[in-house]
Amino acid sequence: MKVAKFYKDAASFTCISNPSLSFPVSRLNDDYCDCPDGSDEPGTSACAHLSPLSPHTPADGAGAAGSNTTLALPGFYCKNKGHIPTYVPFTSVNDGICDYEVCCDGSEEWEGVGGVKCEDRCQSIGKEWRKQDEARQKSLGNAGKKRKELVAEAGRLRKQVEDRIQSLGTEMEGSEIKVKQLEQEVAEVERKEKGKVVRGNVPKKAGKLGVLVGLAKQRTEELRETLERVRGERDSSTSRLQELEGILSTFKEEYNPNFNDEGVKRAVRAWEDYAARDKGPEPEAAHDRDLDAITGSDKDNGLDWEEYEGDDESESETDKVYAFESYLPPSLRGWVDQKLRDLRVTLVDSGILADTTAGSSSGGESKAVTDAKNRLTAAEKEVEKHRKSLNEHQDDLAKDFGPDDVFRALKDQCVSTDAGEYTYEVCFLSKTTQKPKKGGGHTNMGNFVRLERIVVDDELPPNGKGLGSGERIAMKHENGQHCWNGPNRSTMVVLACSESNEVWKIVEEEKCVYRMEVGTPAVCEVLGASAAGVEGKKAGGVRDEL
Amino acid sequence: MVKHENFKTCAQSGFCKRNRAYGDTALSSSNWAAPYSLDPASVKFEKGILTGTVSKTIANTGEAVRLPLTVAFYESGTARVTIDEERRQKGEIELRHNSKAKKQRYNEAEKWAIVGGTTVSTGAATSKAAEKGTTKIVYGPASKFEAVIRHTPFGVEFKRDGETQVKLNDRGLLNMEHWRPKVDKPAPEKKEGEEEKKEGEEAVVVESDKEIAEDDGTWWDESFGGNTDSKPRGPEAVALDIEFPGYEHVYGAAEHAGPLSLKETRGGDGKYSEPYRLYNSDVFEYEMDSPMTLYGAIPFMQAQKKDSTVGVFWLNAAETWIDITKTTTSANPLSFGIGSSVTTQTHWISEAGLLDVFVFLGPKPQDVIGAYTELTGYTQLPQQFAIAYHQCRWNYVTDEDVRDVDRKFDKHRIPYDVIWLDIEYTEGKKYFTWDPMTFPDPLGMNKQLDEHERKLVAIIDPHIKNKGNYPIVEELKSKDLAVHNKDDNIYEGWCWPGSSYWIDCFSPKGREWWKGLFRYDKFRGTMKNVFIWNDMNEPSVFNGPETTMPKDNLHHDHWEHRDVHNINGMTLVNATFDALLARDKVEDKHHVRPFVLTRSFYSGSQRLGAMWTGDNQAAWPHLEASIPMLLSMGVSGFPFAGADVGGFFGNPSKELLTRWYQAGAFYPFFRGHAHIDTRRREPYLAGEPYTQIITQALRLRYALLPAWYTAFHEASVSGAPIIRPNYYVHPGDEKGFGIDDQFYLGSYGLLAKPVTKEGQEGQDIYLADKEKYYDYFDFWTYEGPGTVNVAAPLDTIPFLMQGGHIIPRRDRPRRSSGLMRYDPFTLVVVLGNSGDAEGTLYLDDGESFDFQEGGYIHRRFSYASSTSTLMSEDLAAAAGKKTKEYLKQMEKVRVEKVIIVGAPAAWKGKGEVEVSEEQSGKISAARKVSLDWHDKEDGKAAWAVVRDPGVQIGSGWKIAFA
Repeated sequence: MKVAKFYKDAASFTCISNPSLSFPVSRLNDDYCDCPDGSDEPGTSACAHLSPLSPHTPADGAGAAGSNTTLALPGFYCKNKGHIPTYVPFTSVNDGICDYEVCCDGSEEWEGVGGVKCEDRCQSIGKEWRKQDEARQKSLGNAGKKRKELVAEAGRLRKQVEDRIQSLGTEMEGSEIKVKQLEQEVAEVERKEKGKVVRGNVPKKAGKLGVLVGLAKQRTEELRETLERVRGERDSSTSRLQELEGILSTFKEEYNPNFNDEGVKRAVRAWEDYAARDKGPEPEAAHDRDLDAITGSDKDNGLDWEEYEGDDESESETDKVYAFESYLPPSLRGWVDQKLRDLRVTLVDSGILADTTAGSSSGGESKAVTDAKNRLTAAEKEVEKHRKSLNEHQDDLAKDFGPDDVFRALKDQCVSTDAGEYTYEVCFLSKTTQKPKKGGGHTNMGNFVRLERIVVDDELPPNGKGLGSGERIAMKHENGQHCWNGPNRSTMVVLACSESNEVWKIVEEEKCVYRMEVGTPAVCEVLGASAAGVEGKKAGGVRDEL
Repeated sequence: MVKHENFKTCAQSGFCKRNRAYGDTALSSSNWAAPYSLDPASVKFEKGILTGTVSKTIANTGEAVRLPLTVAFYESGTARVTIDEERRQKGEIELRHNSKAKKQRYNEAEKWAIVGGTTVSTGAATSKAAEKGTTKIVYGPASKFEAVIRHTPFGVEFKRDGETQVKLNDRGLLNMEHWRPKVDKPAPEKKEGEEEKKEGEEAVVVESDKEIAEDDGTWWDESFGGNTDSKPRGPEAVALDIEFPGYEHVYGAAEHAGPLSLKETRGGDGKYSEPYRLYNSDVFEYEMDSPMTLYGAIPFMQAQKKDSTVGVFWLNAAETWIDITKTTTSANPLSFGIGSSVTTQTHWISEAGLLDVFVFLGPKPQDVIGAYTELTGYTQLPQQFAIAYHQCRWNYVTDEDVRDVDRKFDKHRIPYDVIWLDIEYTEGKKYFTWDPMTFPDPLGMNKQLDEHERKLVAIIDPHIKNKGNYPIVEELKSKDLAVHNKDDNIYEGWCWPGSSYWIDCFSPKGREWWKGLFRYDKFRGTMKNVFIWNDMNEPSVFNGPETTMPKDNLHHDHWEHRDVHNINGMTLVNATFDALLARDKVEDKHHVRPFVLTRSFYSGSQRLGAMWTGDNQAAWPHLEASIPMLLSMGVSGFPFAGADVGGFFGNPSKELLTRWYQAGAFYPFFRGHAHIDTRRREPYLAGEPYTQIITQALRLRYALLPAWYTAFHEASVSGAPIIRPNYYVHPGDEKGFGIDDQFYLGSYGLLAKPVTKEGQEGQDIYLADKEKYYDYFDFWTYEGPGTVNVAAPLDTIPFLMQGGHIIPRRDRPRRSSGLMRYDPFTLVVVLGNSGDAEGTLYLDDGESFDFQEGGYIHRRFSYASSTSTLMSEDLAAAAGKKTKEYLKQMEKVRVEKVIIVGAPAAWKGKGEVEVSEEQSGKISAARKVSLDWHDKEDGKAAWAVVRDPGVQIGSGWKIAFA
């Protein structure tokens, strides 16, 4: 006992923190507070009021003003032979209540006030504690192993992401090269097209039918686009209506008629009328399937425009006439070709001939250019896709998955528990949900925002399934479903070490603000110690201090 | 914001409008002759009771309405004037609409309100010296009181020592609306069958013909907020003017959110334009500084002038309005204010019932309050836990939640005694059930609380859910114990559970049934440490007129709701109180005192438990208003009163919450409470430094519990307020008559003025007398009279000790008050200018009725400067059956410390005092214990400590300082 030396003198006692004050030993534990630090009363409650939590007057202790009035001792020392020694708050000493939870030997009630007798229960309590502690330690050991597994799994997952990033990088490089090539191709094709001497306003040399097909295709496209847009608008209106009806029916259920608010009453009556009215035909699934079909691509609907337009261009009469180069010997052909092109370019440049390839009229682009451009666009999209994917993966890599990246292994895994009339579910790094047992809609209690560290200070239950005290990792969830007459639901999920993922406790701390206590091996042995570990150390540490 | 449109103004309440108009006519007319006269031939005086007949002359017909008069003189010096109406009394009236309502004016208010003090005076006698046209009765202590009854117009003047103190009907506003048949106006000729419709229309027609002397537009029915009152008995209001000549201040007429000293009500700068209203109502988000009605009604008023207090008690349970006006009268018109005095005139108007008024002639505040509470009963001596700290919230949502809050208080070393459950613990708002999902184990929860002697208070409201498969409602219906509607069928209304019925506690059968519901085997999940909260007992009816019941509803014995409305809340609490007494088996001898909290109340409710000021708001003005409101309750005979600490609606800032706890530590009923939509705010959640400061305030309350309990004991035997306004303590100090933001705790000279304004760091405290006052926390010395400024940073409560008192404390912080039972005492001897001091201590087991059989300690401590001796003397009455047992139980409880503040300089260098004890009738040999003396420094008083005198708290002893 570190402080024991202060109590050794047989004749007088000196206050621990106030060495200028000493008293005859008869004043030790005489149930009167002499020392300003309470050190003369280690065994009574006489100095319990020496605390910043109590109101004070100059006459509290014998000490003069300005002397050290912080309690020198952490509490009444319970030997708890057969169990772990502890300190009991002085406020609990001789108050007539056996505080077996902390003082299993009952020694804090030595005075027997009001006839109370606290027998020594350390044998049984200690035995039970050791049993549980053993189970706890075992469980902790298992939990530690599981965490290692999780970390390994997280490592694998991380490696996957890293690998993917690398391959994505390669793929992207490839795509970028392709884009460059295609850009060149487009330029080339355009140049080629510029060189074509004769071009009609209708790019695809076709007959009247061809024109009609072109127009029909265009119109169909327009109709489909419009239909899709209207349908989208309808869907969003429908869902808005549903949301609104939901709000109103909740409103009707939950409004407080006590307030006698005429406005509210009118609104409720109007809603009841509205709800009672025939709402017209329910949207039929069949209709929607029809719409799906209609808005599908024409090809899917058995209509392939390309069969009616397209690649016969090269075969068109005019082109055949002008393709006289092919009749020339290759060497000459090259020369003529070049000359003709140069001529055409000159004519175009000098404004004598209209440039049909420059895209000044969209309808005037040749199929070849369009195709080349489409290929380019596709390739660019590919690059974009890769870039996005790469960014996502890189973000993922940079994201906080907790120490050792461990939550990577748990992401989207869900655990749940029953409490009252609901089942509560938490999905790691995703969201929390409340599901009525009787059926009905699920309620989103918040979407995962980030990992946080918070300080908790709870008693650890004997089975170790609790937060204990110290800093803990927590998952913050915000912006869940809005609460009637309240905020958007939110949940703080506080994590502590446990052998398996399990929800221990769910509390609605205040309206629509929830707190879950969840056990998971993921947080074992991080932040210095596990919950159980901290508690164990504290209990064990007592011996050293004394 | 309060919804004014939901509550009537005087002009919207027919009888109030009529009587205000009647008064205005009377006062504006120079030749007004009140039509009431007492027939001298009818006057008889026998055994302290005068009887006679007052007749009211009907102007148009000359008909005389006979009104039987009784004036009773009680042994206590209280006089009572009662006027009934013969025709109704005899039942010789016809009711409209085939109503089954009782025909009499309601004459049972006394059955509920009055429990004593009605022993008729044997000394009261008629005086031969009466002037012509009057009858004079001499009565009261030493026959110093006189009642001079003027025959025409009828009126009474009450005098003390020959000086008029109270005048009834001096201004001629007496008005008893006699019964009359409904006469249809001749103009629109309609047949009988059409009458109904026409009445409905009439009600909304604004009176247009101002020439008519009597406005009969509201005689026969009245509509408000979509509800029509059928008024089967027609107009039946009673009204009277009561004048307090020379009295500038009147107090009482609780419950209102306004200053202690009542304001004038007929308009003008800073005055109200509406009368004070008493019609118990669930006023949502009530407003500050308003004469609007609230949840409870105590029609008792005191008037105060220098060195004199008088009062009246208007015993009437119907809707009541009180107009107050003040006039300045000059003794000599040329003296310009010198010798002028202010007279307060009041005008009392009730919708129905008898005219029944009690007059108290003082002369001290306590004489008046004592006489009033002798009639209506004293505060129940509560269990000790009930005056400790209560932690409430709408709602602790599960039994585990309750256990968790319980553990957290211990963990943070914050004392508390009681945790509360609001309506959500029930299964679907069915009282006497527990929600099986959220409270699967109520007994386990209660047992955990009991481990540290803590209690649970569960809410039980009077509305019973109208839903099948609920045995309680089945019984209520089959036994026909609910309130009826005007057609005498069960009345259905809307409250928390939705469609509901209301238990009629006016019915003896209803009360008997209610009593049975609380038995442990009936209300399963409850045990001995469970107590009850009765809310919504105005009654609150969500879809009713003014959020309450229709006035033409019928109660037991066919009294209309109109007759009994203001008493309704009390009857429920009365039944619950009896139920808590009855739930223990007869063979279980350890009966504990019931605890019931009520929102609605009437004169007499103080006998049954505590009240709180209802649904306040987390805003500074509400904190500020709580003090005058509670002071008002204190001087109205119902001192066990509190306001929700932290404010019910809304979220308080941490500063506000902290200041509210500092103020709440001085509420007789000390409970933190919060609305379901607010954030949690248990003291340990506030964070530092707030949690620490709040804990200090709570521990201060606990340390002073011996003083609080003694003050409650005093209230339980004398009706004295527990926190006392300046006028009560210093009735000779006119300057203090309007002060209502500071108060004294019990008889201990402890003067507190909690900070109630944001950001305030200092407090001006008014000291009424030439005496020393010491700061409770640092012994800084102030000297009265005058105003002193006390520093009040957030961690400090402005709190002074007046010289001349001895304050008992228990300084050891514990988890709950029950665990302090055997802790030693500290006595703080505060020496003032005289050098003497005294104080008392009352102590018992804090829970049982053993005190009624002598199981208590009652000591008087006194310090005499002449002998430099501190003594403890017995104040207990003769020993009873339980005396010995209790003293034995407490024999080890000692005084561990005596602190003398303002210790004489002569003690300098003195190291010892002599202690002698009385043991089995003998005085022991003196032993020496050490004395530690400290000189004064800066502005702080010298003080000394007697170290562990070790004397028993329950026995006689002496400590000699010289």
